[in-house]
Amino acid sequence: MELFFQDLVNGILAGGIFAVIALGFSLVWGIMNIINLAHGAFVMLGAYIAYVLFSAFHLDPFISIPIAFVLMFGFGYAVQRYVINFVVRAPMLTTFLLTFGLALLIVNVVLVIFHGDIKGITTSYSGANFTLGPVTVPWAKFLTLIAALAITVLMQLFMTRTKTGRAIRATSMDIGAAQLAGVRVAHIYAIVFGLGAGLAGAAGVLVSMSYSLQPSMGDPFIIKAFVVCVLGGLGSVEGALIGGLVYGILESFGSQWIGTGLQDAVALVVLLIVLVVRPRGIMGKATA
Amino acid sequence: MKNSRIAAICAAALVAVLALPATVTPAAADDSTIVFGAALAATGRDSREGALTRDGYEFWKDYVNSHGGIKVGGKTYKVAIEYADDETNPQTAARLVEKFISQDKVNFILGPYGSPNSASAAAVVERYKVPMVEGNGSAEKIFNQGFKYTFAVLSPARRYLEFVIDMALHQKDKPKTVAIVSANDAFSIEVAAGANDYALAHGLKVVYNSKYPADTTDVSGIVSAIKATNPDLILNGGHLQDAILLQRGFKEQNVNAKVFAYSVGPDTPDFRKTLGKDADYVFGGTQWSPTAKYKGAPGFITDSKVYAAEFAKKYGHIPDYHNAESSATCLAFQYAIEKAGSLDPQKVRDALASLDVVTFYGLLKFDDRGINIYKPMAVNQIQNGELKTVWPTGVQNAQPIYPTPDWSKR
Repeated sequence: MELFFQDLVNGILAGGIFAVIALGFSLVWGIMNIINLAHGAFVMLGAYIAYVLFSAFHLDPFISIPIAFVLMFGFGYAVQRYVINFVVRAPMLTTFLLTFGLALLIVNVVLVIFHGDIKGITTSYSGANFTLGPVTVPWAKFLTLIAALAITVLMQLFMTRTKTGRAIRATSMDIGAAQLAGVRVAHIYAIVFGLGAGLAGAAGVLVSMSYSLQPSMGDPFIIKAFVVCVLGGLGSVEGALIGGLVYGILESFGSQWIGTGLQDAVALVVLLIVLVVRPRGIMGKATA
Repeated sequence: MKNSRIAAICAAALVAVLALPATVTPAAADDSTIVFGAALAATGRDSREGALTRDGYEFWKDYVNSHGGIKVGGKTYKVAIEYADDETNPQTAARLVEKFISQDKVNFILGPYGSPNSASAAAVVERYKVPMVEGNGSAEKIFNQGFKYTFAVLSPARRYLEFVIDMALHQKDKPKTVAIVSANDAFSIEVAAGANDYALAHGLKVVYNSKYPADTTDVSGIVSAIKATNPDLILNGGHLQDAILLQRGFKEQNVNAKVFAYSVGPDTPDFRKTLGKDADYVFGGTQWSPTAKYKGAPGFITDSKVYAAEFAKKYGHIPDYHNAESSATCLAFQYAIEKAGSLDPQKVRDALASLDVVTFYGLLKFDDRGINIYKPMAVNQIQNGELKTVWPTGVQNAQPIYPTPDWSKR
């Protein structure tokens, strides 16, 4: 029974990070119909931003979150405006190839600058924990979950309460009508891609506190983001959050009761079941 | 129209990027140079270990070239090593080794990093009958296939953690229970199987034994499960990344044990740098230690301590066992080529098969399968941020700190 609760908590803690990673991925996919294979590389860049700020200025990773968000937003905006925008209407394979190439490029540039050495951020409170009945909760991961929830709420407010947010949603619903209503689609697309990159950067900072850093660290997260998006439903903020948490819990229980070696298989089986039973995802709308 | 042209340009650019890592500088082969080919991970999961391997190879090369070269018959040769990035991918390693042999016409092959990549390279050198010596693939699976052209200077994977168990059994307050967890790659599985058998044979109870995917990003479930079984010894067969994740996980969930031991990790500088003081008290199996007291044959640095000092002067850190076993890999070729008195692949292969020479790294001698079962391993422990050799007693430069203090008392 103790193990049951510990697994549940482990799953929720991991799920919070998955949610933030998937959020940016889901926005770009849902609104622009681009499966951004460079998303994992963006997560990695966020982690390295946190690392540089921590080792050069002793800046706490939690303070680095907004910095990484802003830097990565600018980067993502520029990438969309001056690279991807040229092929945004091309068949999906083209954007697939382009973002894959972008990922290779970014990973190799980071490899040249930082080498393959494994790096890590060890703060004074890393490893510290508190107990909650039978469950041990690490502080760093707990605060990470809080930060993840806060990011999700802010994102939801942005999408529903601001003019830009409404323009984004309008563009995703009907691009022609949005254009007629005066929405600058190229600008909106760049903002969406920037948000995707910014969220990936923020997620990278969160990841950097629990995992070790090396240039190809982002790869495993792409497949997770993919599953979370399908689980939760594309393009919606609450979908990414629910999907992330569900995925984290499933992975945690799956690895404990079915076999740790099958950790990834469990998630992919769930993906398959969701696609068959409820293809629009848990939070997805009936008609997309 | 415009879009399809851009798409074509993008596709072409992508192909160019993909092709890049495979290009190598053309062979510098002339009649006075022996050229080796080495496919090593510069990217991917094992990029760090790949770099350590390369440094070990380079250190040997520079030493040999600055001391005249290798004498073959009456003639002296310089050495050159060609590298290519195998991206931690066994298929790529095989392809690169094939290219080294068939296109670049290198003389001999130096092994890649890791058991999966060594295994796929071994199959290729077998086909071309070109000898390969490797120092970074210790899964016996590679050597149980009847290959005749692959030799490993390192002790088999099964032995990595045996000495750690042995060390614990010689302390007061003997351990009774063991938890074993490993990555599901060939090397790690054999490390775990070896530890499991050794523990059972010495009357210990194995209370937990499981595997995780090799590229896992989350081990908290494993940590929780191990905590529930409350073992005396926690042993991991895996690589640097997972070792760091696990050690961090044990602290996060406040898991205490008498021994935390890893097959790969504690000996690398990255483990200590990343974990800081949380790396203290950790044990690791090691192929070699700077405190080893072997008296090597002439032709290269004969003494472990001198090797460590010279290496540190050049690369800024004390060599870890990956560096040392990689230099020893080259050393096996050096002695075999000198003994064969020829660069003929078959003659060098035969000289390797009958090699029996002591080096700074220990005895280089291969069994019928081509693996070095004759060299013992040692146990390292991180004490106050420094790597000490604590077992066996013949090579130790510090006493083991046992049992490991609880997290709350550090």
